[in-house]
Amino acid sequence: MSEQSTLTYARVNDDVIRMLDKPSFKWWALFLPTLLFVGFGLFCFIHQVHTGLGVAGYRHPVFWGVYITDFVFWVGIAHSGTLISAILFLFRANFRMSIYRIAEGMTVFAVLTAGLFPIIHLGRPWNFYWLFPYPNQRELWVNFKSPLLWDVFAVSTYLTVSSVFFFIGMIPDIAAIRDRVTEVPRKIIYSILSLGWKGSNWEWLHYSRAYLFFAAFATPLVLSVHSVVSWDFAMSNLPGWHTTIFAPYFVAGAIFSGLGMVITLTVPIRKIFHLEDYITLDNYDGMAKLIILTSGIVGYAYGIEFFMAWYSGSPAEWGQFYYRATGEYALFYWIMVVCNVLIPLPLWFKSIRRNIKILFIISIFINIGMWFERFNIIVLSLSHGFDPAAWGIYKPSWVEVGITVGSFAWFFMFFLIFLKTLPSVSIAEMKELLPVPRKEAKT
Amino acid sequence: MSDKQGVLGIFSYLDVTIETVKKLRDAGFNNLRVFSPFPNHEIEEVMDEPESIVRFFTLGGAMLGAACGVGFTVLMSSDWPISVSAKPIVSLPPFMIIIFELTILMGALATLLGFLVNSRLRRDAPRTMYDTRLSEDKFGVMITCSKDGLKDVEEILTSQGAEDIKFDGV
Amino acid sequence: MSEDKKGGIKRRDFLKIIGVAGGTAAVASSCSEPVEQIIPYVIPPEGIIPGVPNYYASTCRECPAGCGIIVKNREGRAIKIEGNPESPINSGSSCAMGQAALQGLYNPDRIRSPLSNINADELQPLGWAAAETALTEKIEELRGNGKTGNIVFISNNITGTLGNLVDQWMDALGGTHIQYETYAHEPLKEANKISFGIDKIPTYHIEKTKYLLSFGADFIETWLSPPEYTKQFSKMHSYEDKSIGKFVHVEPRASLTASSADEWVSIKPGTEGMLALGIANAVVQSGQSPNGGGGLRGMLSQYSAGKVSEITGVPQQTIAQIAKEFSSMQPSLAIGGGVSVTGTNATETLVAINILNYVAGNIGETVDFGDTLSISTADSFQDITSLVSSMENGDIDILFIYDVNPVFTLPKQLNFKEAAGKVPFVVSFSSFMDETTELADLILPNNTPIESWGDYSPRESVHGLVQPVMTPVFNTKGTGDVILSVSGQVEELNGKFTQTTFYDYLQDSWKKIWAGASGVGDFDTFWNDSLEKGGYYEKLPARQVSISKAVSSVRFPEPEFTGDGDFYFMAYPSYRYYDGRGANKPWLQELPDALTTGVWGSWVEVHPDTAKKLNVKLGDFLSIESPEGVIETQVYVYQGIRPDTLSVMIGQGHTSYGRYAKGRGVNPINILPLSTDALSGGFAWLSTKVKASNVQKHEQFVQTQYTTTQHDRDIAQAISLTELEKGLHHEEHPEPDFYPPREYDRYRWGMAIDLQKCVGCGSCITACYAENNVAFVGKEMVAKRRDMAWIRIERYFEESDNNAGFETRFLPMLCQHCGNAPCEPVCPVFATYHSPEGLNGMVYNRCVGTRYCANNCTYKVRKFNWFTYKWPEPLNWQLNPDVTVRSKGVMEKCTFCVQRINHAKDLAKDDGRDVRDGEFKVACEQACPAEAIVFGNLEDHESKASKLSHDDRGYKVLAAVNTQPAITYLKKVTQDKA
Repeated sequence: MSEQSTLTYARVNDDVIRMLDKPSFKWWALFLPTLLFVGFGLFCFIHQVHTGLGVAGYRHPVFWGVYITDFVFWVGIAHSGTLISAILFLFRANFRMSIYRIAEGMTVFAVLTAGLFPIIHLGRPWNFYWLFPYPNQRELWVNFKSPLLWDVFAVSTYLTVSSVFFFIGMIPDIAAIRDRVTEVPRKIIYSILSLGWKGSNWEWLHYSRAYLFFAAFATPLVLSVHSVVSWDFAMSNLPGWHTTIFAPYFVAGAIFSGLGMVITLTVPIRKIFHLEDYITLDNYDGMAKLIILTSGIVGYAYGIEFFMAWYSGSPAEWGQFYYRATGEYALFYWIMVVCNVLIPLPLWFKSIRRNIKILFIISIFINIGMWFERFNIIVLSLSHGFDPAAWGIYKPSWVEVGITVGSFAWFFMFFLIFLKTLPSVSIAEMKELLPVPRKEAKT
Repeated sequence: MSDKQGVLGIFSYLDVTIETVKKLRDAGFNNLRVFSPFPNHEIEEVMDEPESIVRFFTLGGAMLGAACGVGFTVLMSSDWPISVSAKPIVSLPPFMIIIFELTILMGALATLLGFLVNSRLRRDAPRTMYDTRLSEDKFGVMITCSKDGLKDVEEILTSQGAEDIKFDGV
Repeated sequence: MSEDKKGGIKRRDFLKIIGVAGGTAAVASSCSEPVEQIIPYVIPPEGIIPGVPNYYASTCRECPAGCGIIVKNREGRAIKIEGNPESPINSGSSCAMGQAALQGLYNPDRIRSPLSNINADELQPLGWAAAETALTEKIEELRGNGKTGNIVFISNNITGTLGNLVDQWMDALGGTHIQYETYAHEPLKEANKISFGIDKIPTYHIEKTKYLLSFGADFIETWLSPPEYTKQFSKMHSYEDKSIGKFVHVEPRASLTASSADEWVSIKPGTEGMLALGIANAVVQSGQSPNGGGGLRGMLSQYSAGKVSEITGVPQQTIAQIAKEFSSMQPSLAIGGGVSVTGTNATETLVAINILNYVAGNIGETVDFGDTLSISTADSFQDITSLVSSMENGDIDILFIYDVNPVFTLPKQLNFKEAAGKVPFVVSFSSFMDETTELADLILPNNTPIESWGDYSPRESVHGLVQPVMTPVFNTKGTGDVILSVSGQVEELNGKFTQTTFYDYLQDSWKKIWAGASGVGDFDTFWNDSLEKGGYYEKLPARQVSISKAVSSVRFPEPEFTGDGDFYFMAYPSYRYYDGRGANKPWLQELPDALTTGVWGSWVEVHPDTAKKLNVKLGDFLSIESPEGVIETQVYVYQGIRPDTLSVMIGQGHTSYGRYAKGRGVNPINILPLSTDALSGGFAWLSTKVKASNVQKHEQFVQTQYTTTQHDRDIAQAISLTELEKGLHHEEHPEPDFYPPREYDRYRWGMAIDLQKCVGCGSCITACYAENNVAFVGKEMVAKRRDMAWIRIERYFEESDNNAGFETRFLPMLCQHCGNAPCEPVCPVFATYHSPEGLNGMVYNRCVGTRYCANNCTYKVRKFNWFTYKWPEPLNWQLNPDVTVRSKGVMEKCTFCVQRINHAKDLAKDDGRDVRDGEFKVACEQACPAEAIVFGNLEDHESKASKLSHDDRGYKVLAAVNTQPAITYLKKVTQDKA
């Protein structure tokens, strides 16, 4: 850890807390547009509720489109956050220390974004609460056999747990900020948030235990959530959806896209806030290796789908996959393959894994590719089902585009606020990486 | 008002802190608390507190969650028995997912509760016995003792080269 | 009228009361109150219980076929039209046009009151009194000038009482009454005159035949009496005791009728006569003719197979084969008609066909001159042309127009419009502002047949009664009443008519029929029975006819064609719009054309090779130029048409006629020449050759099915006769399943659909729209595949080894009400579920619109409400009160007409029994003219439906998915190649 030799405990506090200084002009230049787009997305949604879902591009037989694509995309993004903080924590992988806070923030905000889409895509969104099992005088309950209901439970659980995890991890750092800041409003706020943390050995004792258990819970949760999301499709009988490989395929894809997004987010932050000493090349190297792995799994899934379709001997199955590669949407299919399988290949070379610029570019392509993967799975399967008489082509409308853009703005809005209000790097855990000060060592 | 007094010694070095703790123990002062900006095993060892009981909260929460999961699915399905595609009203395979999610949810929330309850945040030490440097790069040892012990304590702390010594209620 | 007997008095009082109720409704809704508002009865009228429908028998006037109908009335409003089982014509079935009559009744673009431009520049509404006075004055003025002869009343073929009234009236005024039918079948009359000395159109008995040979007669679409002949055909063509009758259709284009044929013979336009003679010759030569050619042997001998094949382009072996089968598979029948044989040599062609029937001994067997069609009495095309010329010469002072639209249906070259412009005073009785009515100076809107008294006799043996089912929706008045009251005001005519209302006049004229009838009791019993039955039906003995010597003198010329283009141009009548009158009804506009699945527009059918040559593809625009003009319309590439022929459907291309018809598609009649059939003088439909050129313009071709083949999915299955004779074993063994099979108590509703019977006419679709308040969405929405039809007819062109090289298969696809429905478990809120009676229920109120059910539906039969669809006033009056009108954001689909099931169960419960088989019919089943759909209780093993679902031909669509549908399809039967 040579780069960190210059770091001291005090400097960690200085650097991290400096990020919370008054927002610069640059920050506002980023933040205000997000508000604008969120507003536009909101307008689109209101227009849609008022006029009817028909303002979106939906048509028989493609009843799901961009909204569900966005949903799966954002849930996917949400995954690497918990992955990095929880799973890597259990594996004691040190390269997580510096980036996991950002990753966790990303998780929480991504779930917040994803959670909107199941509601946005409803035909009667004002009744969305009917999906929750709440007592009512007519004694109507929900259908626990429906994959959509599993979604409701999985996603809401995931949101709760990852938010708590996110917050618990920050308590000691908030205390540190509390001890630094002087001006009244912030002081009070941080004091409340820190829950009176003092860092006594007694607090640390229970804190570490609790943190361990959270990690232990978050790990199976993160795997279950995207499996459930994948079952939204796998539980149906539609050619292209009805397959057993979806759960691992989706989880791998989620981690893949999540890592891509982490890199996309951390690279600029690292540059702007001069965190080179914290987010090191080793960190990126580690993530890049994970990307190679998951990209491989995803690529394998693409291939095996074709084999199974051919091997099944079912004209509907084979018809579906032949259509994906050659039909009206073939371009989208090949975009997906190139972005997710071919473009990550250079990462096999260490030099590339440690080249921030290239890594950043690759991560962008991964995000694009993974969005199209979800689009292909959802739309292509629907538009080309069992009954040829019911085949049809779907084109998104401006409303769907507006809401999708709005969702990205919504995500970055939260993220920018987070950067300016909460410690983006874990102070306490960074200190754990530093050599402990000893009198002997000095003399 | 009791005659108990609090003393806080602040150190820069971990090994010194540990040493000090040992010394104070020998001198018969057992009501000790150590502050550090990050968790540290050496401190845990020297203080050797009983194993945290947060784990029991976690276990209880998880079990409660599982129970709720079963209850929800089975009872609600039976209360409004609607037949869909020839599946039994109570069919466990799909319910498993709900049960699993609720186990996780309640387990996690119970863990949070366990942490909040047990770590005695803000009750652990009086505000006066805290120094902002402790969240940055210093270690602290707090001793609670009777008035007449104060002298010895201060002696030990200074001899250990404490950078600063705070007295409570003086 | 107290002296009226009970029946009449009941009916009329009742109608008054309905008048009150309906009137209030009309008022309430016309001031844009939400029509959902219930209009309370201050005094509950006798004979009407809210919530309980009344049914009235009447006669359909949408086309000359004159089917019997039963109109369902709820709270004073007609809400559904169904075929009248009593009627010998359609015996219970109905066609899409008949169903859609309701949208004529409630059409938002109807003329709502009398209009006149007498003292104004453009038409102004005025009261009935004023309108009638205006008319009276005109007549008096005319009589003042002594120009009595210059009155012409042009109407459609109104047989029966109104016709008589008009005749009498015209006699009294010294005018003339011309009955104009777009498709008057004059050559058919003429040919029969020549062949048998009878100037009539006979009735045919297709159901009796084993072998049907049709020369262009589109009897499933528009020819003479479609529902009747479709029913007969399905009897003759269905698979019974291990055999089916054979049907061969000869036409340059594979029409919907041809699609049901076992063989479609593509023939050079206008040479059908040659083929008929060639076949007749072969029959005689082979000694198969029972009457040994009856003296025609010599005449026929000149039509050797070789020569005929050369002229017609039909291969010799085909001719030989047809001849062999035609003579061996007795009784056989050859019919001819339709636009494709109506060229300049139409009469000769039909004579030839008569000869063929004669030599095969079919005359008197399957052709019945004992009971002839009344369309025979329509006036000839020459009467029309002479009328036009006298209008042009200014010899006409008053022109009455009743229920015809000559400006649209006559070729432009005739200049009817300009001629009518020269008539000083044009009166239209039309209820719609169509192209002809636009020329009128005075419009006296008639009631629709559903609102008025009347009668119609489609053939000698059938006297159909038309009775009002509800009070007029708008301020309209029956033309009969208008004539009577106007006559009352013209002095000279005073006392001419004793009756003051048309109702009296009608009864009086029925007294004559009553006098002619025997064993029907006194007049009132007769009258009431007739009202109940929808009319009075006689049995007429078959009439023996023999071929006249005249035929041998007939020469059989080649057809003549104007224009020097490369393509024969065929303007064919649409089974959805007939001659264009259907185009203002959204149901018919949105009913997909069976072959192209196109909606809301026109197109030209082009053979693939021709398309290649012209370098056009589906949706490109083609300019079609004849000497008389040019039309531009979209291309539909269709293998079922000759490379040297282009065809465009008649009915679209209105320049007026309301929001749904106006400015849609093209009217091919506009480019037809004014040529006539030499012998009969009738209009020659197929008599021009056109140039075609690509105009480099493309639009999406709006259709409801984008694919033409099944992509190996085996959805619409077929099986050959020999395979069936071998007796295949229907795999009854239950599929292995994770869960135990579902148990049912008394009912498991199910359906069997016989693909051998289905002809693709689509009347089931329209019936479903009417019964279940299915919204029509318009062209733009259908273009986005957002049509809401609960039942669709899937159309597949399959490779085949028949002469055409392909066969057409139709498959009605609706919710299969699966026993193991994929849609049910995925709904998070139980909005769709499996009812104890096997119905796949859909709870609109509970639906939140996740649309997962539709994604997971194997058959993609669920439709989603993307918007809240609106029925413009007063179309919404037609909505069925028993069925929810869905709002935006909810899923919907076929319910197996659950409202009818429940109604039947209530009745059964009242007398403590189970619902009997066939006690009620679901809408699509009821409408189907081919009786292809059978609905029933599968738990009752005696029921027709459950028997059929264990038929050898039975199969489930996409059975491999193991959805266990409640609908069993019976495989289509294909003839093996002989």
